[in-house]
Amino acid sequence: MLCVEAKSLSKSYGNVTAVDSIDLSVESGKIFGFLGPNGAGKTTTIKLLTTLILPTSGTINILGMDAARYPLKVRKKIGVVLQQPSYEPNLTVERSLEKYGMMWDVDSKTRRDRVEELLAAFDLQEIRKKKNDDISIGQRRRVQVAREFMHDMDLLFLDEPTVGLDPSARRGLLDYIKGKVRDGLTIFFTTHILEEAEYLCDEIAIINHGKIIAVDTPDELKNKFGREKTIKVHIGKAEDVGAILQGVGKYEVSHDEGTVITLHSADSEQALVKILQVLNANNIAVEDLSVVPTSLEEIFLTVVKNSNNNFGGKLASNSSSDK
Amino acid sequence: MEGNLHPIVRLINRNLTISLNMGFVIWQVIFPVIYIFVAGFAYTALIHNVPFGQKNLDYPAFISSGMIGFNIMNSTLISGIIIWNDRRHGMFEQILVGPFTRAQYILSNVYTIGIIGLVSAGLITAIGYPLFFKSVEFNILTVPLVVFASITGAILFGSIASIISTRLKSSEGFNVVINTVFLFFAFVSTAFYPAEGAPPILATAFYLNPLTYLVDVVRAGIFGNFTGTVAYEMVVLVAGAAVLFSIATKLLSKLEI
Ligand SMILES: Nc1ncnc2c1ncn2[C@@H]1O[C@H](COP(=O)(O)OP(=O)(O)OP(=O)(O)O)[C@@H](O)[C@H]1O
Ligand SMILES: [Mg+2]
Repeated sequence: MLCVEAKSLSKSYGNVTAVDSIDLSVESGKIFGFLGPNGAGKTTTIKLLTTLILPTSGTINILGMDAARYPLKVRKKIGVVLQQPSYEPNLTVERSLEKYGMMWDVDSKTRRDRVEELLAAFDLQEIRKKKNDDISIGQRRRVQVAREFMHDMDLLFLDEPTVGLDPSARRGLLDYIKGKVRDGLTIFFTTHILEEAEYLCDEIAIINHGKIIAVDTPDELKNKFGREKTIKVHIGKAEDVGAILQGVGKYEVSHDEGTVITLHSADSEQALVKILQVLNANNIAVEDLSVVPTSLEEIFLTVVKNSNNNFGGKLASNSSSDK
Repeated sequence: MEGNLHPIVRLINRNLTISLNMGFVIWQVIFPVIYIFVAGFAYTALIHNVPFGQKNLDYPAFISSGMIGFNIMNSTLISGIIIWNDRRHGMFEQILVGPFTRAQYILSNVYTIGIIGLVSAGLITAIGYPLFFKSVEFNILTVPLVVFASITGAILFGSIASIISTRLKSSEGFNVVINTVFLFFAFVSTAFYPAEGAPPILATAFYLNPLTYLVDVVRAGIFGNFTGTVAYEMVVLVAGAAVLFSIATKLLSKLEI
């Protein structure tokens, strides 16, 4: 079953197109990662999907319901942690969790149990009696995320939930989310942190300038965009290798610590064999050698850069390209 | 899992939880009581009695009944503060992305201040009772008139506070504007001194002020003095409340997210 299905979804603010005709589908029980640089349209997409704002055009279906026709029904079935902080300044941490559960009509016994569970899971025991006004920004973020688990839901939207969290809190949150997904929850998650997406997500969409520029599993994304590996060959002396390396492909040479030849290739094995042969034939000793798979982060940067170039190209279609 | 409380009831519960703290109780109950007793007796030396309909009220009786109206108005500050804080601390969006509608959010604020207005008016009435019991003339209209005043007053002044809270951006601005407006309402009204005997300009200004109408209705209830003028004032209050409430609702429903 699809939990989220958006078709040709667009949102404009004046002449800014924050979301530009995107299609999305998220399967039930999955963690869907939504990645993109600042201003790409992630938050706007979340606000659209959670019925907080209305689309300029396009359709949204959440958990089988038309979001435009049944916004309240949709909201009753979802949880949302917005990017923007939200808290009741005068309530203590435990009271604000408890009251949030009340607002969601959770019965009082369940509320009490969940408050204890969440205070423990989000490491809030020590500050449970402190007012939200008197705790740190990262602690407040933890309370905000924890609070959303006070109520039952089928689908949870998290807009950069880990911003401001220290590494252990971050890992704790990701693992808590994983646990909830095992129990049947579906997650729509935005982040800038690629390792986080890789650790957590079953599927990833990358958005830039309001358009989705790639969607796939983390592994497939790596396959598609990251088959290119980076080969580094350290050789001893600072030799001029330009002449002998002709024909091995595109490479860079740097001379910081000895001489390093860096080569990017989609067919890394072939390229490696070739370069070793050439070096051997010229009696150049290899001191060190490494082949590094491209990280999701590099893929992200590559994909976003490509799309920026295309975007710029479209805008500047009159001027001549220098390529 | 569900407790099955109406969404508006849940929002009222939350509003009361975040609003009722020590500072508010001091502002809403203790301050008016001190004022009634201190000012009431201090001014008695200057103001011996206040003609009111067929009666002569002594000043403590006059001011404590005026304080009920003032108190109803004061309690509506809560609505402005709730909206203001909710926007500032992100709870406005969070509530609207939860199991509530904007209409429920707005109505819950109105009910919240209605409840606070009624309860504190009741408290002031009880505490002020020893001061005005000599002049009191409770009749069949007393409770309906005081309740009417509490509800229309809550809606009217609550709408003003809400309008201010949706129009202003900085928190200094909000506090200055809302306190100035409410202070003006309080002191340019018949809550603290009678219109009779005031300079004509001031007396006219009194009657441009909804708090005057509110206080007149409360006094009519407590001192059994329901007249044609009071009926007219009630119509003005209802009309004012209706207009301001629809403006406030419109502004709130258009509030950008
Ligand atoms: N209320 C608004 N009015 C006008 N423009 C807006 C509004 N909200 C967002 N935008 C614009 O829409 C675009 C997308 O913004 P959005 O907040 O969705 O980005 P984002 O991907 O969430 O960025 P970030 O990573 O910084 O959170 C931006 O160009 C932003 O300036
Ligand atoms: Mg964002």
